[in-house]
Amino acid sequence: MASEMRLHNLKWALLTVIFIIVSSVALGLLARLIARLRGLSETEQRKIFWGFTLAGPWIVGFFIFVLGPALASLYYSFTDYELGQKMEWVGLDNYRKMLLVYGRQGRQFNKAMLNSFYYALIGVPLQILAALIMALLLNHEVRGIRFFRMVFYMPVILAGGPAILLAWRYMLTTNGGFVNEAMRKIAGMFFIFDYLYRGFIYGMEAFNGFYAGIAQGDPIGPLKYTAPALLGALILWLLARGEWSEGKRLLAWRAAQIVGLAMFFRLASKGLMAQPVNPAWLYAAGIAALGGIAWLGWLRHPRLRLTQGALLAATIALGIAVLARRDFALGDAETQRYLLPLALTALALIGAWIGPWTARTYRLLALFGALLSILLLVRLAPGQLDGGRLEVLMRYLTFGSTLDRTDDLDYLNKVYPVQTMSSLWFYGLAIAAWLGVAGLGEAHPMARRRLAWGGAALFALFALGSFLDGRAYFQAFERLAQASGKPNYHFSLFRQAIAQFPSSDRVPLWMNSELWSKPALILITMWSSGTGMLIFLAALKNVPRELYEAAEVDGANVWQRFVKITLPMISPAMFYNIVIGMIAALQTFETIYILQTPLTLDSLQSAAYLLYARTFSELHIGEGAAMSWILVVIILTLTVLQFRFSRSWVHYEA
Amino acid sequence: MKRFLFLLLVALIAFPAALPAGTSPAQARQEQVLEIYITGLTEDTMNWFREVAFPAFEAAHPGVKCEILTGGWGDFDVTVAGWITTGEGPDIVYLGSEYAATYGDLLHNLDPYFADWEDWGQYLPAAIDTVTYDGHIRGLPLLMSPRPIFYRTDLMKGEIPLTFEDALEFYRANTILEGGAAKQWAFMDIGNDLFDAQEFIAYIWTAGGELYYEDGTSAFDSEPVAEAMQYMYDRRRIMRPTEDTAGLPPFEGTALASGLVISGIFPMWAVPPTSDPIWNNVEMAPYPAGKNGSPLIQVFIDWLSVPAYVENPELAVEFLKFIGSKDNAIALKQVAGFTPTRQDAWDEIKATDPVWAKLLDLTVEYGRAFADIRASAELRPLIFEQMTLFLTDQQSLEDTQAALKEEYDIILEEAGYLD
Repeated sequence: MASEMRLHNLKWALLTVIFIIVSSVALGLLARLIARLRGLSETEQRKIFWGFTLAGPWIVGFFIFVLGPALASLYYSFTDYELGQKMEWVGLDNYRKMLLVYGRQGRQFNKAMLNSFYYALIGVPLQILAALIMALLLNHEVRGIRFFRMVFYMPVILAGGPAILLAWRYMLTTNGGFVNEAMRKIAGMFFIFDYLYRGFIYGMEAFNGFYAGIAQGDPIGPLKYTAPALLGALILWLLARGEWSEGKRLLAWRAAQIVGLAMFFRLASKGLMAQPVNPAWLYAAGIAALGGIAWLGWLRHPRLRLTQGALLAATIALGIAVLARRDFALGDAETQRYLLPLALTALALIGAWIGPWTARTYRLLALFGALLSILLLVRLAPGQLDGGRLEVLMRYLTFGSTLDRTDDLDYLNKVYPVQTMSSLWFYGLAIAAWLGVAGLGEAHPMARRRLAWGGAALFALFALGSFLDGRAYFQAFERLAQASGKPNYHFSLFRQAIAQFPSSDRVPLWMNSELWSKPALILITMWSSGTGMLIFLAALKNVPRELYEAAEVDGANVWQRFVKITLPMISPAMFYNIVIGMIAALQTFETIYILQTPLTLDSLQSAAYLLYARTFSELHIGEGAAMSWILVVIILTLTVLQFRFSRSWVHYEA
Repeated sequence: MKRFLFLLLVALIAFPAALPAGTSPAQARQEQVLEIYITGLTEDTMNWFREVAFPAFEAAHPGVKCEILTGGWGDFDVTVAGWITTGEGPDIVYLGSEYAATYGDLLHNLDPYFADWEDWGQYLPAAIDTVTYDGHIRGLPLLMSPRPIFYRTDLMKGEIPLTFEDALEFYRANTILEGGAAKQWAFMDIGNDLFDAQEFIAYIWTAGGELYYEDGTSAFDSEPVAEAMQYMYDRRRIMRPTEDTAGLPPFEGTALASGLVISGIFPMWAVPPTSDPIWNNVEMAPYPAGKNGSPLIQVFIDWLSVPAYVENPELAVEFLKFIGSKDNAIALKQVAGFTPTRQDAWDEIKATDPVWAKLLDLTVEYGRAFADIRASAELRPLIFEQMTLFLTDQQSLEDTQAALKEEYDIILEEAGYLD
């Protein structure tokens, strides 16, 4: 029996080898044929034949095991493929569910994406900081340095293993676990440490409580305007200050484009997904995009680089596709909520790509901006929606409350958040102002300063007004709850967290609470940031000593040397760590798989974990495939943006 | 080089053809292979199948050759779903307790084969419920894992509770909190989170409720569900008055032996061995019940099914009867620790192990199988999500019930359980 099995295996192994050889040779012959048709010499043809034949096993493997399944999964993502059920083509339905947060799956995906972004935006910087600190410590020649290097790197080998993760779980036990005991011991040493410890708990719980409320979809009322308004005020204030170097101007210019692009594509995808789109329009948009790129290539506009041209064409094409929505109407409130901010952002981006302009163009644009503002105010005029948009705007700017019906829970929960204008308006305005001011740069310093100060003041006023009204919105929920004798569930975790400053015997709850589960996971990833440390260490070793010596002679202190020499010199390593860390964070899986509990699953699960569960546990292959493609696009986009952004701060040469 | 490559290719093609065939065509025609898949088998159990069970079955069925396959729990769902839905896989497939509703008609209806099998009467009713879907038998119960509530009688204050009301009183009396942390908990479940989806379903049953109405729609909006939810919430608030209360300190070994936990629901593999002296101070009892319900013990039954893709189920059923015989059931308990689901195989266990004797008696009296859970893979995360919100004060009971009802109905409809 055993020998039969061995013979069987041997046969298949040999047949596999034969297949690989035959397909590789066939690939080589095909490449040679193409080379011959292209009129290459006999020697070139031979080289090409052997090149492709020898690379054949990898190429064939790639087609069979990577490209084939990837294309199959792309196809499945447009179907309702579910094991055991008949498969049907459903078009963009799966994507619509996820991107527009329809039903349980959409809600779960939204939460999982928010968790993933939490890991990426909070976890990765902390991981990089830990790696950098370790590398700086190890960059000194002290006795036993090799031992310390090994110790700091060892978690990379160990982390991810179930045994180590279970050990972490043990160490993170809330009552008597190693981590909490150590923190309490340190806090007990000195009263300031105690305040810091309690402040840490307070801050973490308040932040994570608020994040949990957002993930849960609790309405934030007027507070939704505070973030974009603050962003606008902050950026314009930064742009208004001092003289500009060319590098700073470019940085602001590019950052605005990246943020603008992100918002534009998010809005465009919403527009496309909201309702079924006639495929003919999509084809038209695709043709327009290709035509646009070809036209730009032919035109070879001296000021327009190919990437800008391609983005411009894509923006126009997406705009056409969005406009092609079947029941598009300007009077439709829902359309206005996203379509006008979309147009605003697109105009600003297109302007940015076509610029820089002359002073005359700027004057024309100012006129256009004034006309647009009047148009917007007309669109916002009272009577269109309950309360009136202009009225809403003016009341925020004068710090008056816009809440008319604070006695109606249903109104506060469902009606008010929809009837007030979209916060996207303000993101659109902020980005447009940002691009405009950054575009002005030092060519028009006076105009830049006036515009920036004015804009910053306006945004700041609005931020303050919306914040005050947001507070009133929160208080209304509490008042209603007290009147009815029922608990107030509006941002309940956040309110519990800020209700009182923690006492000295409070401990972080790590894996026992959704307020702490994500920080716990980040703590574990920080522990295993040895790979980043190694890369930083290699980069630190390559920083020329002469630069430090010269800076010392010039009187630079340690901090100045670190900021002005070390950081720029290790920026390629930093960039690499950020890109790799971001991708890894968005794909977090094993740690969640092992550490999750029923009560922390929702707060922990990443998009990668959810797509695994949906595909392999619940067997909804179609939806799982759609999730995976959305994740691919997000990772790809973020990576491309990081590369684009990197030109402003990564220095590859001394 | 070209010549060498050519010769190599010829040699490679010729070599497999020249290999002796493993089985002659005549032999293949005569020999019928029966493949049996059982999850998580140890090497000892595999050897028992290969060296004891299979030779006996093959001797009684000339021309039949048995093969055993095993795999891990991690890829269980994907593996089994792949076989059953693509129609290619083993003749006998191992399934967990709640899977009858998942695969339903994709498994053979075994009524005609078991109707006249005299041993069938020996099987525990809860076990037969587990393998029944749409009124028809879909497999053979192989092993069971009853999960009672264990009580530390040497540490507890008060009587063992059998109602929700008494249970809450019991938990109040036996929970010790100190400085915002637990020093002793009156109860712990298998997940150490004071919440578990399977346990939630058990309390719906003990509250007198069911998961489904007669028309097949979800009954999450019913009164017993509300009662079960409120009970779980109140219990949590006794042991964690606020969500920032720290849990128990770490302990080594089992929770039951730690002395930090007075009672809890655990499978038998998560409690000390029955030979441990601690059992002199441990009592077992069913789950407490609500106003209109009655106590029960949840029983998990793993079973063997014959997928509908098997063209000739007769031979597979023969094997099921063979492996389900009294002698083999006893042998599997000894070799693999599989607790038999047929009651006539319990005599020796009862005679030698008083703990198991008590548990088996309780199982007969109170046992209810964790079965007929429709679309269970999707129900579990839904319960996790909604109950987390409710138990951590982020959502009201009414909203939680409404969300569970609405979303489970959608799941049931999409999965084809509703018309």
